[in-house]
Amino acid sequence: MKILLATVLLLLAGVSSAKPWWMRDSASNETDFLPPDVAFRVSAGVDGDIIKVRWVIADGYYLYRQRMAIRAESPDLVTLAPAMPPGVIKVDPYFGSQEIYRQQVEAAVRFTRIDGGAHPLQIKVIYQGCADAGLCYPPITKVIYPEVSRAVATAGSHPFEGIAILAGGVAFLLAGLLLRKGRKIELPAA
Amino acid sequence: MNRRIAVIALLALGMAAGAWFQFTRRSPEGPTAVRVAAGEAGTPDSGDFAGELPSATIPPPKIPDRLPQFSLEDRSGKTTPIASFAGKSLIINFWATWCAPCRSEIPLLETLQAEWAVRGASVVGIAVDHRDEVLEFADRFKIGYPLLIGEQDALDAAASFGVASPVFPFTVFTDRRGEVVALFIGELHKPQAELILSQVQQLNDGQIELPAARRAISAGLSALRSST
Repeated sequence: MKILLATVLLLLAGVSSAKPWWMRDSASNETDFLPPDVAFRVSAGVDGDIIKVRWVIADGYYLYRQRMAIRAESPDLVTLAPAMPPGVIKVDPYFGSQEIYRQQVEAAVRFTRIDGGAHPLQIKVIYQGCADAGLCYPPITKVIYPEVSRAVATAGSHPFEGIAILAGGVAFLLAGLLLRKGRKIELPAA
Repeated sequence: MNRRIAVIALLALGMAAGAWFQFTRRSPEGPTAVRVAAGEAGTPDSGDFAGELPSATIPPPKIPDRLPQFSLEDRSGKTTPIASFAGKSLIINFWATWCAPCRSEIPLLETLQAEWAVRGASVVGIAVDHRDEVLEFADRFKIGYPLLIGEQDALDAAASFGVASPVFPFTVFTDRRGEVVALFIGELHKPQAELILSQVQQLNDGQIELPAARRAISAGLSALRSST
């Protein structure tokens, strides 16, 4: 939900601020393309003994499966090869058939820690992608700290949540009843 | 009156409860937060969904008015200043071997080299890549136009055209006096190339000035884009 909101805000910001380059009297078409961190948004979380790395890919952009990698960065971290979903095949006259991802992709990496988590959990992600419009970004390398997924970490940790929903509902119902009652009183007798 | 106050109070309570629920509710989806410690490939340190958003468009490059000075090794390993091409209109194409659109525009660059040589224009390819891979690639694809090759030094050359974190391919057009006429990001196609080169030609012939040429290119590219 947050991501959706961020994306919408981002798109709105993009629409409002991206003045076409020909209106800026600059002989470049650079603003036709998204910066790499907007075209490919990467995030990571931990779910048990699995690190999940997710890329959200802008429309008209794609990532090459073969050029994606996830490596352990913390000294005590041991990771297995990431499990990636199958991509779609893109046929290139020079590269041949290549598997690519569009829209969104999530990789799952099983991990163990040698020292029981004394070091902060850090991974290195590498990815490379292009735009359909005929442009490629150099390989991007980022070191990120996957955080314990909030959904996992906080499951059942809000005992008042149910009570709050119930209280809200009851209050709403009572308010409705009171309003209805009031209206009835104010009606002229038939 | 008391009843009305009670209704408002209950509604407020309901809204407060709803708001509290909304604020404390966690995303049911998996990963939500990321902190980026370091970007090794010279990329901006962003990607944090919860924090500040990165800018939505690539900042406009500060295109120099004149061809900047830099030197890179050619195919034989000889350090070659870009100034050694002085006196020609240049089509300076930044590319890399791993970049599919860069590969697909090579035939066009060969055509431009052949067709515009008589009019004093030359293509110069600048490969931002590992030297051995570029040499192997250039032999395999029989690239006939001059090539300069570099890694960090080639990135510095790209930065000197105002393209600090480059995307590939991009092509810079200069007139024969070394004025930078246009910078085209992405795969070049023939109509775009011919539009820009016709303005370069008019600059060379003294028929127009640089601002007018840039405006004509802008308008022409815009028209080409809307026609596709």
